[in-house]
Amino acid sequence: MTNFLTVTGWGWNEMIWATVISIALVFSVLVLLVFVMKLFGVIFAEKPKRKMTKTASQPVEEGQLHEEQIAAITAALKLYKSALHDRESEVLTIQSLKRAYSPWNSKIHGLTQLPDRK
Amino acid sequence: MFTFLEANFALESLQKFVSSMGFTAIFADMQWGNLVMILVAFFLLYLAIKKEYEPMLMMTIAFGMLLTNLPGAGLFHSELFAGGHVHWAEFADGAGLLDYLYLGVKLGVYPCLIFVGVGAMTDFGPLIANPKSFLLGAAAQAGIFLTFLAAYAMGFTPEQAGSIGIIGGADGPTAIFLTSKLAPELLGPIAVAAYSYMALVPVIQPPIMRALTNKKERQIKMQTLRTVSKKERILFPIIIATIISLILPDAAPLIGCLMLGNLMKECGVVDRLSKTVQNELMNIVVIFLGLTVGATATAEAFLNAKTLMILAMGIIAFGIASACGVLFAKLMNCFLKEGNKINPLIGSAGVSAVPMAARVSQKVGQEENPSNFLLMHAMGPNVAGVVGSAVAAGLLLSFLG
Repeated sequence: MTNFLTVTGWGWNEMIWATVISIALVFSVLVLLVFVMKLFGVIFAEKPKRKMTKTASQPVEEGQLHEEQIAAITAALKLYKSALHDRESEVLTIQSLKRAYSPWNSKIHGLTQLPDRK
Repeated sequence: MFTFLEANFALESLQKFVSSMGFTAIFADMQWGNLVMILVAFFLLYLAIKKEYEPMLMMTIAFGMLLTNLPGAGLFHSELFAGGHVHWAEFADGAGLLDYLYLGVKLGVYPCLIFVGVGAMTDFGPLIANPKSFLLGAAAQAGIFLTFLAAYAMGFTPEQAGSIGIIGGADGPTAIFLTSKLAPELLGPIAVAAYSYMALVPVIQPPIMRALTNKKERQIKMQTLRTVSKKERILFPIIIATIISLILPDAAPLIGCLMLGNLMKECGVVDRLSKTVQNELMNIVVIFLGLTVGATATAEAFLNAKTLMILAMGIIAFGIASACGVLFAKLMNCFLKEGNKINPLIGSAGVSAVPMAARVSQKVGQEENPSNFLLMHAMGPNVAGVVGSAVAAGLLLSFLG
C-alpha cells in the first residue's frame, strides 16, 4: 500500500490539504478517462455507412423485396391487425342487483303516467 | 423411586440449564443493550420485509444483528478482531460461526466478489457513448470529501471520518471495503447507514433536485445516445482497469473486480461464468456479507452517540453528493452549445446507487415533461459514480491506510 503521509498527528492543515488533493485527483483521473474514452470512441465507434449519392434506391436482386414493397406490406399488416376484433370470452355474466326500495328510484314516480281517458 | 441424590442431581441440572439460558443472561446481568439491539434488529427486519428497503442486504444485516446480540449464543466475538487485527491464535479457543465468516469482510474479500457480480450486471454502454458523464460521477464524489471534513470537525479520527464520508458514495460494497480497512469498529453503523440511505434515494434526492433546478432546466431534452459497438464494450473494462490500477493501485481490488465482471458479460465467450457471478456467487456472498456486517453491530459498538452522529452525517453526505452532481451539470451547461445541453437532473445520479438514482432522475424529469426519457442518459453518470466512488475509496485508503 502506498502511504503518502502517516495519519498520526494529522491536524486541520493536513485534513484540508488531503481533501483538496483528493477532490483534485478524483477529477483528474476521471477527466483523463473522459479523454481516453473520447479517443477510444473516435477509433472504435461504428462508422455510419456512406450515404448513397444517388437518390434512387439500389437495384433489387431477384428473390428480394424492394424497400417500398416492404413498407407497403408492413402498413397493410398493421391495418389488417388493427381492424381485427379481439377474441371475446363468449361467456355472459348477469349481475343481479338488489336495491332497497326508495322513492328516489321508484318506477312509479319515474314513468310517465298514462293519460286518463274518459 | 427417587432418592435424595437423584433429586439433587435433577435440580442441579435444571439450575445449570436455566443459568445457561439467554433470558437469564439478559435479566441477571441487566444486558439491556442487547435487548435494545434485538429490538433494532426487529425494526430493520420490518423495514426489509414489509417496506422492501434494500431487502437483499438489510434482511441479512438485521438477522446478523439479531444473532450477535443473543446472549450466550457466542456466534461472534469482536475481541478476536480487536485493534484492527485478526488474532489468529485465539481462533482455536472457540471462535463462532460468524467469526469465521467475518474473515471475508476483514480481509476485504466479500466486497470485491460483490463487485465482480455488479460488473457483470452493469451496462457501461451509456457511459461509453457519452464520456462526459464521468465528470458528473466525479462531481458527486465531492460529498464524500466534504463529509470527511465535517466528521473530523465532530471529533472523529481521520480514519473514521474517511469511512463516514464514503457513505456519500452511495455504494455499499465500497463503504464496507473502506471501513473494514480504516475503522472496523464502525462497520455496523456505517453499513446500516449506507444501505438505509440507498433505499431512501427516492425520498432524499427529489427535493434536492427540484430545489436546485428551475422548470426550464428540468424540461431539457437530451440528444439520443449513439450506438456502442461490441469492440468498444469489450475494450472498455480492460482499458479502465489498466489505467485506474496504474494511477491508483489502492483502488485496483475494487475497480479490477468490477471490470472483470463486466468483461465476462461483454466478451460473450464465458456465459457460464457471467451467469454464475451475477447469480450464485453474488447471492452467496450477499448472505455472508450481510450476516457478518450485521454481527459487528453489538450493543457496545452500536448503542452510543457516535452511531447517531454517523447516521446524521451519512444523510448529509448523501445530500451534498446529490447536490454537487446537479450543480456540476448546471455548470457544464454554461459551456455547452444549445443542442448539446444536459438535463441537470441526471447529475444527481452520479452518487452511484445503481440503478435507483437513475430511475429517480427519470421520474422527476417525466413529472415536468412526460415525453422526456432520461433513464439511459442518467445511467451514464450512475455507473460513472461507481467508478468514481471506488477511486475516492482508493485515494482515502492511500492517504489514511
